[in-house]
Amino acid sequence: MADTTTTEAGGAAFEAAPGGNAAAGANVAAATGDSGDRPVKIIGIVCNWCSYAGADTAGVGRFRQPANVRLVRVPCTGRIDPLFALKAFEKGADGVLISGCHPGDCHYSEGNYYARRKFELLERLIHHLGIPKERFKWTWVSASEGQRWQKVVTDFVAGVEKLGPREGRAL
Amino acid sequence: MSRQDHIREFAAKALTEGRVDYFIGWKQGHNASEVVPAFVKEAAAVDQLVWNELCHHNLVTFLKRNMPDPAGAKIGVCVKGCDSRTLVALLQEELIDRDRLYVVGVPCDGIIDRRRLEKEFADEIVAVSCSDGRVSVATRKGNEKEFAKEEVLLDACTRCRYPNAVYADDVAGPPVPEPDRDGAKPDWSDVAGYESLSDDEKQATLEKVYSACVRCFACIHVCPVCVCWDKCVNRSRQPELVEQKVGTKQKLLFQMIHMFHVAGRCPSCGACDRACPVEIPLYLLHRKMNKEIYDMFGFEPGTKLDEKPVFQLFDVNDRFGD
Repeated sequence: MADTTTTEAGGAAFEAAPGGNAAAGANVAAATGDSGDRPVKIIGIVCNWCSYAGADTAGVGRFRQPANVRLVRVPCTGRIDPLFALKAFEKGADGVLISGCHPGDCHYSEGNYYARRKFELLERLIHHLGIPKERFKWTWVSASEGQRWQKVVTDFVAGVEKLGPREGRAL
Repeated sequence: MSRQDHIREFAAKALTEGRVDYFIGWKQGHNASEVVPAFVKEAAAVDQLVWNELCHHNLVTFLKRNMPDPAGAKIGVCVKGCDSRTLVALLQEELIDRDRLYVVGVPCDGIIDRRRLEKEFADEIVAVSCSDGRVSVATRKGNEKEFAKEEVLLDACTRCRYPNAVYADDVAGPPVPEPDRDGAKPDWSDVAGYESLSDDEKQATLEKVYSACVRCFACIHVCPVCVCWDKCVNRSRQPELVEQKVGTKQKLLFQMIHMFHVAGRCPSCGACDRACPVEIPLYLLHRKMNKEIYDMFGFEPGTKLDEKPVFQLFDVNDRFGD
């Protein structure tokens, strides 16, 4: 499995955060320095209409952000099964970030209303599994909020880097 | 008239009148101390039905999608309080057809944990009898012991809030006293021990407990509210969501899938826990989930027929997230 390899962006599912490349070198080095062996890997699951576009806006705006996040684009946060986050942890992700349209702005009107109930339960149960709070986050970022995306990613990555990579865990 | 007589009478009547094709209840197993599910097809055979403190099986399992045989069968079924909640959960989502069911609610005083009894003896238990809150157990080699019933109850029964069936067409005998549900919130003290562990201790505990899982699917097959069992993602090989590897990660993911997929439907009846051949405390996992659901929505799964499970609904005024 791809547990210990730092994959190049490019698989069908994982894409580098748009615009993140400029900061990549510095950040990888920093992460390596802190945690000893490898930079942290974070799976971001984002909806096509808001947060993916928001990440794009951040890239177009050339906002500096860590390159540790691999984005998985889904049609809507309502599509996200709690299993996706658990699967990411099982596969060796150090953190999972879920983001979608703000409530009320869903492209499909109500997908994120259903989703946030699931995410709330997911978050509570992920902590129950002994995965620290800092390793899982769900939030809302709209297509125009490039700066908010930058802040969310920067803060989240900093939190995960503080804990370092996850090794030899039950899940 | 005992509850057992009521069950037999209701079953005989329904079968004679042709209201049901068969009736599901409990009967004595091969072993004198064990009760197993019974499928009664003729009124003449209703005398095999029993009701006692060993009737732990949740018979709603046999009603779930694609299970009834033949497909259009009219079925009579016995339910305890906890079983009826799983039945209501299925009815809420229209996963079974209410018109094809005849439900006999059995007021329940609590079911004995047979596994707990077995651990008290070195040899095989041959007889279990219960009267006046005392449980007498005899083994093949002649050992006898008596227990207070509270000591050997199932975990699910010690904190029971619904001893009477929530939904039933007929009730076998007078209902047992209901606990004060409006005044008292559910008691979640059974999960407090695990909750107080640190993250690392939790991971270590999970590693220890779940490494025993053999992924036999007993928990999933026996779960009355795990309804897509014939197309389960746990079995899917294309795409392969749960690998065939036998690591703890895969085992834990397997259990988490089951848990999340019954969220809002599972009333923690404990059927999975009792079916588990390696005694993983699945009951506690599902209790924890229900605790969080109760905390979020004040919702108890499967208690009201006219309600929808919380994850099938939304409220624009929900206050979750930032």
